[in-house]
Amino acid sequence: MLSAARGWFSPLLFFLSLPFILLITMPLGELLTSSGLSSLVQTLQDPQVLRALSRSIGTSLAAACICLAFGTPLAYLLARRRFPGKRLVEGLVDLPIMIPHPVIGIAILSLAGRYHPFGRFLSEIGIEIMGTYTGIVTVLTFVGLPFYVNTVKSGFEAIPVRLENASRSLGAGMASTFARITLPLAWRSMLLGMIMCTARAISEFGAIVIVAYHPMTAPVLIYERFTAYGLKYSQPVAVWLVLISFCLFVLMRLFSRPCETAYAGH
Amino acid sequence: MLAIDSISVHLPGFSLKAVSFSVGPSDIFALLGPTGSGKSVLLEAVAGLLHIQSGRVSLRERDITKLPPESRNLGLVYQDHALFPHMSVQENILYGARYHKISETVRRNRFERLTQRLRLESILRRNPLTLSGGEKQRTALARALMLNPQALLLDEPLSALDQVFRDDIRQMLKGLQRELAIPFILVSHSFSEVLLLANKGAVIRNGRLQQSGTVEDLFERPRSAFVASFVGMKNVFPCTIAGDDIQAGGITLRKQEAPAKGHTHVAVRPEEIELLSRDSSGGENVLQGTIKELDCQGFYYLAAVQIGSLVLQAYWTRQLVRQANLRPGQNVAIEIPARAVHTFAEPA
Repeated sequence: MLSAARGWFSPLLFFLSLPFILLITMPLGELLTSSGLSSLVQTLQDPQVLRALSRSIGTSLAAACICLAFGTPLAYLLARRRFPGKRLVEGLVDLPIMIPHPVIGIAILSLAGRYHPFGRFLSEIGIEIMGTYTGIVTVLTFVGLPFYVNTVKSGFEAIPVRLENASRSLGAGMASTFARITLPLAWRSMLLGMIMCTARAISEFGAIVIVAYHPMTAPVLIYERFTAYGLKYSQPVAVWLVLISFCLFVLMRLFSRPCETAYAGH
Repeated sequence: MLAIDSISVHLPGFSLKAVSFSVGPSDIFALLGPTGSGKSVLLEAVAGLLHIQSGRVSLRERDITKLPPESRNLGLVYQDHALFPHMSVQENILYGARYHKISETVRRNRFERLTQRLRLESILRRNPLTLSGGEKQRTALARALMLNPQALLLDEPLSALDQVFRDDIRQMLKGLQRELAIPFILVSHSFSEVLLLANKGAVIRNGRLQQSGTVEDLFERPRSAFVASFVGMKNVFPCTIAGDDIQAGGITLRKQEAPAKGHTHVAVRPEEIELLSRDSSGGENVLQGTIKELDCQGFYYLAAVQIGSLVLQAYWTRQLVRQANLRPGQNVAIEIPARAVHTFAEPA
C-alpha cells in the first residue's frame, strides 16, 4: 500500500482534489460558525422561523411518502420488466434533475393555473396549487421523485431475481412474492430513497418560490430575510436548515452502507 | 411423467427451438450442455418462469404450459440455492406451506421427516447466510420437497459445492429420487457428474437438442462430433467405411457389428484404449504407435499416441505408466476393443 502510494502521482491527485474539498467545507464552515449559540436559540424561538422549518420538514416528508406510494411500483417496473418505451420512461424520471427549477414551477403553474382546463378541473374539485401546501408538496414530489425512483430501482435490481422465482415456484403469486420477499429485502433502499427525496425536497427553492411564495418554507424565508434585511439576519435560519440537512445526510450515510452480505452467494 | 413437447422460447439474443423429451417417475434426467447453451432457460421455461412461445409441457397427463409457476407443483432448486436471506432455515422450509392446502398434522409430519432425512434439525434457527454449501443445498431441497412436488427441477445441483459435500448431496439426491418416485430434471455442464447421478439425459447446444436418451447411449453412442467431444470422447476422426473396415488417418479399425455405410466419423473413448505388452502383435484393432506426450492428470495420465497420421488420446493409470516405464518418444502397442469403436454420421 505504502509503496504503491509513493511517487509524484498520488500527491498530485491530492493536490488537485483539494480545491473541491475546500469549496465544500469553507463556506459551510464559515456559515456554521458565523452565528453564535444564543443567536441560534433566539432564532428558533421566532414563530415564523419555527413554522417555516416545520413546514419544510412536513411538506418534504409528505413528498417522500407520495414517492413511496407511487414511486415504488414505478421503480419495480423499471427494475424487473421489459416493455416498449422503457428507456423513454427512465429518461422522463431523470428529467426533473436536468430542468432548471424555476422552470418546473412555471410548468406546474401553467398546467394547474386557471387558464388551463386541467387547472380549472382541479379548482372545481377544490384543489388549489398556487400558494398552497398542495402546491408545495406537488413541487417537492416533482423534484424528489428521480432520487427516490432511481435509488429504489437500484435496490430492486440488487435483489437476485432467482429469489422471486424460487418464491413463485413455491406457490406464492407475484403480489405475495413482492410482499414477502422483495419488500423486506428492499426496505433499506426504500428508506434511503425517502431520505434522499426528503433531503432534496427540503432544500428546494427555485420551483417553490414560483408556485407558493406563501406559505413560506425555510429556503424561501432565508431568501426573504436575505433580500429584506441582509446576510446577518438570514444566517441563523440557514444554519438550522444546514443542521437539518446534515441529520438527513448522516441518516443517508447510515442506510447507504453496502449490504452485499444480504445476498452473499446469490 | 413430465413431458416436454417441442417447446420454443424466444429471449433477446437467444432462442430455444423445438425441444422435446420426457422424464418418467423413476428417472433422473440430465440436461447437459456448455455454458450459454440454454439449459437453465429450458429449466425455467418448464418451471413457468419464462414464456413458452410454442409447444406443450405436461405433468401427469395435465397440460401445464399456460399455468403460472405457483400453480405447476414443480420443485425448483437453483445452483446458488436462492434461500431467502431474511428468513431462518425453518422459515425457508415452511415458506410455501401457506400457499398449499396442507393440514397442520401433515405439515408437521412432513417437516419433521424432511428435516430428519436431510439432517437439518440442528440448523433450523440459523440464517442461510451462515450455512455451508452442503447445508444450503439440503435446505433448498427440503424447501422444495416440503410441498410434495410432482417433479423436481435442479439447476446445477452440485457445481457450487466443495467435493466433500458433492458426494453427500449426490447420494442424497439418488436416495430421494428412489423414495419419492417423481421425475428429476437436473442441469449440468459436467458429464462426469451426470454419469454418477442420472440415468437419462440430453445434450443441448445453442438452444437445440443435439441428442437425448439413456446416459449410456450418450456416453457410448454419441450421434455427432459435438456430443462425442462433450461426453469426453476425445478420439473423434472422419472416416470412410469399406465393408467391415473403418479407415481413418491411415489405420483400419473394426467394430463389433458392421458399420453403417453412411457413417462418416469414428469415435473411441480414451479410457477404452488398452496398452499392450511389448511383445503383443496381431489381433483385431492392435496398433503400433509412438507416445508423443504424457500428461499427468491426478490419478491418471493422458497419453497422446501417434499412429499413422492420427493422434489417439488414452487414459492410463499412474501405476500402469510407472510399471511400463512409459515416456514420450517410446514405441508402444495399443489395442482398441471392437466394442469400444463407435461410428456415426455427422448431422448436416
